Amino acid sequence: MKVIQHLEKLRKIEKKKMHPIIHKIHKKHKISKKTLFYVKEYGPHSNIIKVIFKESVKILLFASIISSIGGLALEYIKDVFILIMPLIIMAPVLNDMIGDYGTIVSSRFSTMLHEGKLKGKWKNEELRKLFRQIFVISVLTTIMSLAISFIISMSSGYQLSAETAFKIFLINIIDVLILVGLVLFIAVVAGLYFYRKKEDPNNFLIPITTSIADFGNMIILSILVILFF
Amino acid sequence: MHSFDSNFKEIFSSQIVSVIGGLIAGTLLAVYTNKILLIPGMLILLPGFLEMRGNISGTLASRLSSGLFLGVIKTNSMKTKIIRSNLLASFLLAIVVSLSLGIIAFLFNYFILKQFTLEIIIIPLIAGIISNAIEVPLTLFATFYLFKKGHDPNNIMGPFVTSTGDVISIISLLIALVII
Repeated sequence: MKVIQHLEKLRKIEKKKMHPIIHKIHKKHKISKKTLFYVKEYGPHSNIIKVIFKESVKILLFASIISSIGGLALEYIKDVFILIMPLIIMAPVLNDMIGDYGTIVSSRFSTMLHEGKLKGKWKNEELRKLFRQIFVISVLTTIMSLAISFIISMSSGYQLSAETAFKIFLINIIDVLILVGLVLFIAVVAGLYFYRKKEDPNNFLIPITTSIADFGNMIILSILVILFF
Repeated sequence: MHSFDSNFKEIFSSQIVSVIGGLIAGTLLAVYTNKILLIPGMLILLPGFLEMRGNISGTLASRLSSGLFLGVIKTNSMKTKIIRSNLLASFLLAIVVSLSLGIIAFLFNYFILKQFTLEIIIIPLIAGIISNAIEVPLTLFATFYLFKKGHDPNNIMGPFVTSTGDVISIISLLIALVII
């Protein structure tokens, strides 16, 4: 069978039967498995909009519900929350930061899976190094952004005592450390699950990790604010 | 393997950009607290609305990056079916998710907080259309630019999308509030 015929066959095959034929074409025609995966998923004859929409919409709606539940927790502590200016400033920073780590780990982990570096397992030095880097960067960026949020708050007239500043510092550091650990764990578990189901982890991992990061952030932040204030 | 390598530098520098974006968005939130946060249900809506940008544009950037690395998407042409379809799918998802966020916030407001605020459905829809009309093309151009410059867009686009998205989202929400 010629390469074009093989690729056409690949496009027509259902996702669940995708990997065996990818392996066959890869062996016969020496085309990399990752290229074949992409040809199957987003090839010229596939309805790309439908594929993306269908694979993404459910997880995005799930993410919306999860985030809204997290937001509900914030709505309950709104009276306290809106009075602590550094916390309002830090809220998007924390959301971004933890969500970013989810995105970075998800996309890097997906690429590692597609490239066959992990062989469906998580014990890998490159992955461990990525985790170490994420932890160090998260602590550094939290301290930096907190310092800036204090400066902005004080320069706009907010009365910030040393005790309040220390409480806000503790709230943020505890929140970030718990959530970064959680996001890394979920990215690995969910990434391996979707990869084994022959789905593109790119389409699932980012919404899952970011929504859990956001949800967890709102819940943990709310609990910590109640505990400290 | 050394932990402080080029990947560390790329992630760290992109995080600095993200922190700056987040701080600008946070400061805007703090300044306009009376306009944004005092509307019943806005805090229910806000996390999901800010996150949507990362979810949709971040996933778009991730798909484009995979395509660029695999050679399926070429840097010399943006007018291809795969790119057009990616953009259209992202817009479609943004509209559906914005509307859903509004409906969820409305329902939570009505059934849990016992408040009837119909505008909480319209606000994210208008703001979602405005912010995605800016963010989705921005994601496309930034991913291509970074790839052409020899960077791994996977390391940079996540933080870039969320930080620019936050600022654009807060401004879009303010515009939507003015329109309503």
